[in-house]
Parts: sequence; structure tokens; C-alpha cells
Amino acid sequence: MAEITNYDAIVVGSGISGGWAAKELTERGLKTIVLEAGGAVDPGKDFVEHVQPWEMHFRGLGDRAQLSRDHPIQRDCYACDEVGHKFFVNDAENPYTTPDDAPFKWFRGRQVGGRSITWGRQVYRWSDLDFEANAKDGHGTDWPIRYKDIAPWYTHVERFIGVTGAHEGLSQLPDGDFLPPMPMTCVEEDARPKILKAFGGQRVMTIGRAAILTKPHNGRMPCHYCGPCERGCVTHSYFNSLGSTLPAARKTGKLTLRPNSVVAEVLYDPKRSRARGVRVIDAQTMQDVEFTARLVFLCASTIESVRLLLNSKTARFPDGLANSSGTLGRYVMDHHYGSGAAGTVQGFTDKRTTGRRPNGIYIARFRNVKEEHPDFLRGYGMQGGSGRSGWGRGSNMPGFGAAFKQSLIEDLGPWTLSASGWGETLPHEDNRITLDPDVKDKWGIPAARLDVRWRDNERAMDKDMMTAMAEMLDAAGCTNVRQHGSNNPPGHCIHEMGGARMSRKASDGVVNQWNQAWDVKNLFLTDGSCMASCACQNPSITYMAITARAAAHAVAAMKRGEV
Amino acid sequence: MQRRDLLRAFGATAALALLPNEAVAAWARVASGLRPADGLTDAQLALVGAIADTIIPRTDTPGATDVGVPAFVNVIVSENYSDTDRTAFLAGLDAIEAQAKNAGASFVDLAPSARASTVESIESATDRRAEPARTYWRLKGLIIHGYFTSETVAKQVLKVDIMPGKFDGAAPMPQRTSPPGAGHFHG
Repeated sequence: MAEITNYDAIVVGSGISGGWAAKELTERGLKTIVLEAGGAVDPGKDFVEHVQPWEMHFRGLGDRAQLSRDHPIQRDCYACDEVGHKFFVNDAENPYTTPDDAPFKWFRGRQVGGRSITWGRQVYRWSDLDFEANAKDGHGTDWPIRYKDIAPWYTHVERFIGVTGAHEGLSQLPDGDFLPPMPMTCVEEDARPKILKAFGGQRVMTIGRAAILTKPHNGRMPCHYCGPCERGCVTHSYFNSLGSTLPAARKTGKLTLRPNSVVAEVLYDPKRSRARGVRVIDAQTMQDVEFTARLVFLCASTIESVRLLLNSKTARFPDGLANSSGTLGRYVMDHHYGSGAAGTVQGFTDKRTTGRRPNGIYIARFRNVKEEHPDFLRGYGMQGGSGRSGWGRGSNMPGFGAAFKQSLIEDLGPWTLSASGWGETLPHEDNRITLDPDVKDKWGIPAARLDVRWRDNERAMDKDMMTAMAEMLDAAGCTNVRQHGSNNPPGHCIHEMGGARMSRKASDGVVNQWNQAWDVKNLFLTDGSCMASCACQNPSITYMAITARAAAHAVAAMKRGEV
Repeated sequence: MQRRDLLRAFGATAALALLPNEAVAAWARVASGLRPADGLTDAQLALVGAIADTIIPRTDTPGATDVGVPAFVNVIVSENYSDTDRTAFLAGLDAIEAQAKNAGASFVDLAPSARASTVESIESATDRRAEPARTYWRLKGLIIHGYFTSETVAKQVLKVDIMPGKFDGAAPMPQRTSPPGAGHFHG
């Protein structure tokens, strides 16, 4: 039987955004095909969160030879380890280039579920402080939407995925529809009021808000606190598209999921000024297959979606499809993160943690919320946690023999409290994705060339993350407070955003307020590429909310005959 | 030694059906690769074992060699280290042995008190980048990692709970099994 190649909608990518597009489009009755570049994942066989160190040949230290051969870039991500590397691309098959003086870490997962399998699960709503930022300080273009436009969609997403968190009533970090919060440690409980008091209530340490279940939810089981979520979860207790949105889409009977489908090009019909469909290279047979549809949703990830449009050149769009504004590939951002401080906590040595909490503490943005900071625009949130080191401290600790051994078993060492900043990056037109003129990937598709740089505002903010966190640790009563600076290059945070930004006018961006390409009415970009600024919050929940909103609009517009 | 380790690996095959693919593959490698062709010599393994048992001796809980720490060190040094790192490590082992010979004999032949004083003198060096301290501290890290990530120690000594089911951020410390006692503890 010949493969069906005509659908109501095509979704490119099956990760966080693609899964939501599939769910919302199929639930509204559209016959939808999801095209995933990578292979299928079977949670029962492929998830490895319960593999213990003694079941690994290198006891979790990683296979250096294998990682340096297949994953020389990906291995810099903490989750690309001895067993988790299977969820990361082969770097030799998936090249990209950068200028020598502008390193960029592009961590990628090509498989059904995409990076939703390995993501960090932290979810924070944006507020109008974020949506109004570009308009207020003039960097980037004004968002055509505000918090009120997206708030109901945040709720819609939270109710489906399940988000644990605590209500704080902060204007800059709106509360959501939360499941019960995870507990803080005794040390975090102790530090929170001390930090609140020392800084006039402006610095609020709350428990992390995470897409992890703390009670049964929509047929999924609560977290069993085994620890390494980034290796998968057989109980689907954290949200990923594999266990939640894609099954919901499948339930409608309208979903076709096609793995091993590398989308090479969006096909454009110049007579009707519409996307006709996409050209796929089957990753296994290397054969071209064309799929056609009335709607095309690009959810391939920020860089992949932009790369795809840059690769879809036509006479009408010689610089990339939907690029009449000339902004395609520009204003690329990532969070600059990792600078902060750690301190030693006095006391609490009669207490320890049991269970492995896959979540930490979050300090809501406090810079440029009420008062202007003299050194930088915008702000950062801080993420961290506390714990005791246990036997791991033995490697650097002098001593040997029976008492040394006993101390590693029975004394856990002092508590450490630490946090680091996740900072907003200003949108800059020269932070760019282009196509490399020479390098191609395994399927012959031109590779992305990435030129993204931190600039003065980011560097000034990094410094403040260190001193501000050190002040908070001092206030919490810590000793031996150590500041740490981060050398993470752009991309390392895996929060790459922009490149096909949303704008109020067709001349200023690639998509309108509904994520609809200004130039191609039936083409939608709803992954991180649409972001006109990056705020400081972990972005995935905003992609999900924006995707659901765009899908609802697209179907309604289609039914009205507008697309 | 080889036979014992192979028997241990065979004993684990009953559990294979329960393990995910990745773990099965890992086990297969453990079973077949405990003594890689270019691995540590018997003499080097004996030296590693003697140092490991000096740092983590058998008490009311297993010692380092009881849980196969030398085999783990062998895997890391033989299969995971780069050629440069491996060469440096093996030279470092020779330097440790030379220090022992200053105390009168090969490290493995020293009495426990002489082993202790040899280790103590290496640990007392302020520059941990100079041999033999450099290799000693690398080895100590591997010994501790290998010991505490072994199945026996994780399950019977640390009582690691793989599926805790809950998180408690203020749990009481467990009862001590014995009071902090004598020994060479300087930490």
C-alpha cells in the first residue's frame, strides 16, 4: 500500500513544541503527520534511569573513547553520560560551524520525544515585565502579545502536564496551576526567611517549579524520587512528549507519527503564496518523500527551524522562506548562566536527605524589578540547592584506614548551599544563524553556522550573580562563601531562542502574534525560534503555551477559510 | 582472581532478564573484559589492591579488594584513560613502589604499620601535583569511587534505596553502627 502523503497538517519535530502542536491540532480534528528526524524510542526498553553504577562498565564515569568519537560536543552536556548519550546526536553526522572566536555549544537530541526526554523540567511563567522589556528599553522589537494573551494557555498547559510548585504571589514570576510543592531541605527552609529579611522581602527563595508529578495526574504516576530524570522515566512522572502529548494525539485517531524523517525543505507554491508541504529525506533509505498539507507547523527547535527556512530558498524568497523582513536567523539568544556562589552551612549535622529530589530551589528575579540596576538591563533568576557530600568528599580528603572508611560511610560532611544565575540575554541583530557554504550533514543538507556572542550587558550581569549570591549566603549564615564565575559559551544552557522572531509589523520579524509567518499564511513557527526576547525563565513552558495558542488560532482560521 | 571475577559475573546472569538493554551490554563487557589484553599486570594489580585495602580495610564491612576495586581500577586505567594518562599512571605506580622500598620492601610485602606510614608520608606532601602524590590521589579517587559504587557496598553498607518513593529534606541521621574509633583518620 502506498504511503499516504497528504494531510491536513504537518508538524516538523516531536519534542516539547511538536508534541503540543500534534495534540492540539488532532484534538481539533485535523489529520496530522508528525515528522521526526530521529528514530523511535520505546520507554520500556530505552529509558535507563534505573541503571545503577555497578551495572555500568565504567561505573558512570563514561566511556571516554566512545564519547570522544561520537559525541565530542554533546558530551559537554551533563546528561550525555555513560548511559544517557543515546539521547544525543552523533556529532560527526550532525555538524555545525562557528567562527573560531565565537564558540557555541549546540546540544541536540534527534529521536521521538526530542529533547523533552532530557530536558531540565523547570517551568516558570513569564510576566509583563518580560513581554514589555523590549518596548521599554529599546533592545529588540516589541512583542505583539502580553501576559494576558498567554496566561490562559499557561494554565491549559500546566493542567495537562502537571507542574509542582509553591504559590508566592510575585508579579515578576506569576503563580500557576500547581500540584503540591516538593519539600525544601532543612537548610533551605532555614535560609529562606533569613534572605527575605536581609533584603527587605525582595529576594524570594522558593522551591523549584518543575513539570514533575507530586501526585497522580492525568493517568500518570507521581515521582518515585530515583533521581536521574534526564535518562527517561518509565512511570512518565515528568512531562515529555513521548509519554503525554503524543499519546493524547494518538488517541484521536488522527495522528501519523513518522520517525527517521529528516525534513530538508519547506515546499512553496508561489501561485498561491502558500507552503505546499515539505520534502523529507528518509534517514534510513536516503530517498526523498514529499508530504503536502494545508497547514505546516515548524517545531524542529530554534536552530533547526531557522536552518530549514534558510534552506528553503525560492525565486520569491532568495534569502530563505518567509524572510522578506531580512530578520530570519537574527536576534538569536541563549541564557548566560552558571555564575553564582556556594557556602558551607553551620549545623544541621543531625539531618540528611533521603530520596533524590529532581528539583532545586529558585530565587525569583530581583534585579530591575522595582529599582534600576546601574550596571545592566533586565535580570536573572537563580537556581541551586543544598546537600551533604557523603562519600564523594573522600577523594580529596586526607586519611585512610578503618576510621577514615567509617567516616565516609557514616558522616556525610557539612551541608553546602549554593545557587547560580540564569540571565536574560539582550536580542542582538548580529547574533546569527546562517548556512555554512561548505559543510553538509549526513543527509547532504547544509549545516548551520552559528555566530552568537555574549556582550557587555551579559558580562556585567554575570558579575552581579556572583556578588548577589554571596551576599545571600552571608545573610543565611553560611561560612566559607565561594564565588564561582562561569565560562559557558552560548548554547550551553540549551535555551537557544530567536532567529524567526515574533513582531507587530511584517517588516520587523518573521511571525505575527499567532506565530504565523507574515509572508506565508499557512506556515507557523512555534518553537524557540519565535522568541523576540528571552526573559530569564526556563523557556519550555512558554513554547508549549505559545504552540497551543497558535494551533487553536490556526485551526479556527482554517475553518474560516483564512489560511 | 580472574576466575573469581568471572564466577561473580556468571552469578549475576540470573538477574540479566530484569535489566534494561544498556545494563545487559555493560554486564557482557564486564564479564568479558575484566582483564583487558593490555591491562595492569598481576604485580600492578596486587599493588593497587594493597593500597586500596590500606585506605579501605575490611572491618565489620567489606574492604576494597573484597568488592573488586582493583578490577575497576584496571578497567578505568586500561580502557578509559588516554595513552598519555595511562603511561603517567603506570609511572606513578612505580614511584609509589619506590617510596615503599625506601621503607624497606615492596609495598605488598610491608607490614600494615609500614604500609600506613608509607601512605601517610605520601599524603603529607603539600604539592599533590608531584609524583608519587599525583598518582596516589588519582588512585585514591578511583578506589573510593569503585568501592562505594560496587553493588555490595551500595546495597549492604550504604543501603542505597533505588526507588525511595519520597523525598525528605530533614531526615534524621541513621544510628551509628559503631563509635568513631582509632585508626589513621586525619580528616
